[in-house]
Amino acid sequence: MGAHSYDPGTAPSFLLWTIEIPKGSVHVDVDAGEATLDLHNVCSLFDAFTVANSLNPLHPMGLVTSFMKSLRIEWSGIKRMRSFTNGSTFRGDFVETSARIELTITTPATKPPFTPAPEDGFEFEADPATTITNFAQIGHENNGSLF
Amino acid sequence: MRGISRRALLQRTMGAGAVLGSGLWAPGVAGADDDHTKQCGVPLPIPFNRPGPFGPVHQYFPGPIDGSAWPTDTTGTHPEGRDPSTITNFDGFVGQVDLNFSGTARDTRTGVEDLFYKFHTDSRFIIGDFIASDQKRHKGAFAFL
Repeated sequence: MGAHSYDPGTAPSFLLWTIEIPKGSVHVDVDAGEATLDLHNVCSLFDAFTVANSLNPLHPMGLVTSFMKSLRIEWSGIKRMRSFTNGSTFRGDFVETSARIELTITTPATKPPFTPAPEDGFEFEADPATTITNFAQIGHENNGSLF
Repeated sequence: MRGISRRALLQRTMGAGAVLGSGLWAPGVAGADDDHTKQCGVPLPIPFNRPGPFGPVHQYFPGPIDGSAWPTDTTGTHPEGRDPSTITNFDGFVGQVDLNFSGTARDTRTGVEDLFYKFHTDSRFIIGDFIASDQKRHKGAFAFL
């Protein structure tokens, strides 16, 4: 089924893979070590197929709009708390946790010129039970001029 | 979310150089605030960057905020701290994950299924106040996906 790599692209400001979302999509309780990110019907993501193709301004493998039907990430279970300041540009108070992901996403079938060759459509539904947390954290921070 | 490790690929391709900037970002306003300036500014990236295959990449890999060594960031330690936000001039909450997971993938033409299709993701939410490119303070919520 080939490689698939989803992101919203890079802004002219060089802001990487970051899009605005409804404020109600996020619920966070740092003291409890719990948070959720809950998104539905997102059509501002691209399937760039690979990260290299996403970062390449020419996108030689093509670039097509995907449809994220739903994404839910849950943070829970405090493992460790960390506070840090570098004294001038960044400070934060974070708790490190476990996490779990649910995802349903689709890439439509494509044909030239959107991809170099015709590609079948792709659908994916995650099994949240398979989630392996390499790292997860939630917290409050200040950076830059709001340090 | 990607079927290939974003982190591994970025780290493999470090050192190449050209110009990043696809211009493909979905244009976002500065924030979902109510003031009349909301369409006049956009959030700006953190100053930190490392070389990417086509230009600077303004993002730390996931890991502890104190910049200590962590397996998800093979670029090493960061004495200045490892800011999980991609947005600068920011005051608010961030959630970050580095996850591996799998699920059922299906070819929509053939109907062939792969019950163990693997993904890796570095995803984040960023919610709070920020000074945008219009030099004004805004409120907003963002996702790094």
